[in-house]
Amino acid sequence: MTHPSVIENATCLGCGCTCDDIDVVVASGRIVEARNACQLGLRWFGDGQVPSNIRVDGADVTAEQAVSSAAARLCEADRPLVYIAPGLSCESQREAVAVADLLRARLDSVTTWTALPFTLASQEHGHASATLGEVRNRADVLVFWGIDLAERYPRFAARYAPNPPGTHVPDGRQSRTVIAVDVGSATATIDADVRVAVEPADELATLTALEAITRSPDARHHASLPDRAWVVARELALALLSARYIGLVYDAEPDDRSERTTVRFEALVSLAQALNDRTRCAALALRAGGNRSGADSILVAQTGYPCAVDFARGYPRYDPHASALRDPGAYGTDAVLVLGDPTGLPSEVSRTLAAHDTVAIGPRASTMTLGERCVVIDTGVDGIHASGTALRTDDVPLPLRASLGGPRSTAETIRGVALGIRRLLLLDRAAASAESAALGT
Amino acid sequence: MSQLRITGGSVYDPANDIDGDVRDICIEDGRIVTSLPDSAPRLDARAMVVMPGGVDMHCHVASATVNVARRLLPEEHARHPATAPSLDDPAEVPRSGAAGTVPTTFTTGYRYAGLGYTTVFDAAVAPIMARTAHSQLDDTPIVDGGFFALLGNDDYLLRLIDSGDRERAREYAAWVLGATGAYAIKIVNPAGVELWKRGTKERTNLDTTLGSSRVTPRAILETLVDSANTLKLPHAAHIHCNNLGLPGNSETTLATMAALDGRRAHFTHLQFHSYGTSPDGRWRSAAREIVEYVNAHENVSGDVGQVMFGSATTLTADAPVEYLLHKSSGRKWANVDIELETGCGVVPHEYRDRNAVAALQWAIGLELFLLSGDPWRLVLSTDHPNGGSFMSYPELIRLLMDRAHRDVQIARVEQRLLTGSALADGLAREYSMREIAIITRAGPARLLGLRNKGHLGVGADADLTVYAPHDNRATMFSTPRYVVKGGVLVVEEGQLRRAPAGHRLHVRPPFEQSVARDIERFFDSYGTVRYANYPVAALRDSPLPVGAR
Repeated sequence: MTHPSVIENATCLGCGCTCDDIDVVVASGRIVEARNACQLGLRWFGDGQVPSNIRVDGADVTAEQAVSSAAARLCEADRPLVYIAPGLSCESQREAVAVADLLRARLDSVTTWTALPFTLASQEHGHASATLGEVRNRADVLVFWGIDLAERYPRFAARYAPNPPGTHVPDGRQSRTVIAVDVGSATATIDADVRVAVEPADELATLTALEAITRSPDARHHASLPDRAWVVARELALALLSARYIGLVYDAEPDDRSERTTVRFEALVSLAQALNDRTRCAALALRAGGNRSGADSILVAQTGYPCAVDFARGYPRYDPHASALRDPGAYGTDAVLVLGDPTGLPSEVSRTLAAHDTVAIGPRASTMTLGERCVVIDTGVDGIHASGTALRTDDVPLPLRASLGGPRSTAETIRGVALGIRRLLLLDRAAASAESAALGT
Repeated sequence: MSQLRITGGSVYDPANDIDGDVRDICIEDGRIVTSLPDSAPRLDARAMVVMPGGVDMHCHVASATVNVARRLLPEEHARHPATAPSLDDPAEVPRSGAAGTVPTTFTTGYRYAGLGYTTVFDAAVAPIMARTAHSQLDDTPIVDGGFFALLGNDDYLLRLIDSGDRERAREYAAWVLGATGAYAIKIVNPAGVELWKRGTKERTNLDTTLGSSRVTPRAILETLVDSANTLKLPHAAHIHCNNLGLPGNSETTLATMAALDGRRAHFTHLQFHSYGTSPDGRWRSAAREIVEYVNAHENVSGDVGQVMFGSATTLTADAPVEYLLHKSSGRKWANVDIELETGCGVVPHEYRDRNAVAALQWAIGLELFLLSGDPWRLVLSTDHPNGGSFMSYPELIRLLMDRAHRDVQIARVEQRLLTGSALADGLAREYSMREIAIITRAGPARLLGLRNKGHLGVGADADLTVYAPHDNRATMFSTPRYVVKGGVLVVEEGQLRRAPAGHRLHVRPPFEQSVARDIERFFDSYGTVRYANYPVAALRDSPLPVGAR
């Protein structure tokens, strides 16, 4: 075994907390330890070993052959779908959007599947928010609303709030009041000073009552809201309205939980905004791992929309209400390009994507169960085998450090496909103009 | 070796005292040269106007805040789709996008170039978000670009000011600029953003205290303005004064200028800071007082921040302003408090010519231009997209150059608050072609300390624009016939043909290492990003020299 080396301050994409204090210990070409990492982080770093297969229709080929097959097949398709799975750096995501633009494809990401209600609510109303450090340094009242921190964001409490001291909360946990709101089975796993339980059926009414009290302290019971909503709301309002700075923390994509509607997120967004009339409040809608916030941000910067983009008309159109995944037949999707780590996809998404002619490029792409006609290029993991950038759940950008050598770079591979497509399209254009010249038109 | 001779155009190059003279411009390998062999390729510019490429010294096009705005505006993007240009180079991937008030990255680059602009600065980037700004600039093709780093509400700086250690504050400012790849120091509502984060919504004055009597807007301004000047940064500290947008704020603006007493300083979007109040408490124009101060003080420069009628998106680090705008207009509102540094607020807005305040804002901007005694020190901006889009610059130029057109517009707007305004009283001035070249190119380049930009002298970057003259100046300036960027012909016959990557303009002033160690301790105590992960990776372009003024 070679002498271990340590890559300090590595960034983890295990969840949206994107902790950047991981010391990765490498020996004999493997990750043997990820110090400071939580269970999600340990799973994300693993031992750093990933497959490195490159195949076209099941046969091993060179990377160049696979890239040019991928470009050719995608160009042939009438209605390709480019799908951004979790696990890409911002640099790789930027190339992914270029491919979709060139192909006039549909472009989607896991955001449409898991976080669309929150996304639409914040586009409709805006949001009152902050970066995580602001909540760490200021929040004297924290509300964890139906969020399972222990399972979904294991280091949030220790790294951001309520535990660490901050500039305006010098005694950390002791300087803060922590309120846990359990919504049905969505238990807010946190050591709370106040804990209230809300039935899922009453959640919207409770948020509405709380906003009403915030906007008008002498708000009367309104018959359309159940009494128990008012009771809980009054209890919460007591703590919230005496705060200097409220951190309202919830999950933007509560996976595997009951369906969360846009209206529910609108109520959370609107409550946070209203609280700013009385004190200060920042809502944190947390995102899961794999640089999902990065994908949204790159799509917004390049297309104007965070997900569910259709380039069919030669420019990006937002089509969030009709997911190509939920109803692939309606879009005539005839080829799919999956970019990123397919093991990070919800299984239903993975199955739907695999039902088409598929090109899969990313770490562990070859682990996807695909049909006979497919191009597969395994690449390294951005953040383990390649450096780059990722965004934390609050859009704070962080560097990704490469700890190991590994398969080819994802960003460069996608770039290769983009340039291949560009060349083919230029050839098509040249052929078309030669043809029209020959016809004397 | 690439060469190009632009022949026979009327050249407006005010930095070199050339005022419409017919002459050739010779370009070799991206720079202006004295001469070229006769065999060099030629571009016929006879009967056309040749100017240096436009330089926008204050806009918002590449930052996390700009992205907050983009995300907030799906309905606007849907109304303004942007198809990809037809580019010649197979290695350049032409990109579609969305336009509107806050265009997507690639569309921003294409459209600036399409207007003849070749250098663009984002005026407000939170240091912690610097990577995002660089990423967006990387995706903004053609134009050379950079950004200003937001200081003045950052916790570490305020602590140094509280301890009276202004020299360390200067070293810290130098560290921030280098760590983030920024070009200049930007101050936004000093102390006011931090007060907002502490729950205060009242207006501030220069001596409002922030926790300690030593920490005031005045102390912050003095410290950072002195830092920029002592570090000999190419651009002065770029100041967005306290109380933006509030009636009566001209007092604050004048007090700020006076407080800096002879120091080199740049005051941005002055229009938004030139509001007086009449005895009956109504808004009035204070443009004359402000511009007279600027005219009389050589150390002071500014940009106007003109309001143009139509849709805009207000986005700023001055988050309390956005809260107030949201409450008064009822439009949707995004706020992001940015840890230990600054704020971010976004509210879409509409400037209507029948709205009295909007009409006053529009008039004040024009008054500032028309009463300015020195175009080199008061230059063009709309604070894009706050006062209006950069796409409205041609119409703004027409308003400045064409009095008859302007008078028609004045007659159309709501007059209620214009009583006593200089504009309503009739300002006859019309900007000359030379003056337009100053306020859109030569002036901003000089104020930014860009030695190779904004002029066409030997050694300058070969960034230039060729316009076909037209009586309607808006038509002329909105459709350049040719644009050359770094010696590459990017616009030909009015069509965008090439979109090479632009250069990054940034500085890296030296600083004392002991300050860096102290900053690291501060990060360990209160940061959520590791000190080692804060600085951006090496940029593809070297930093510009400091101390070369």
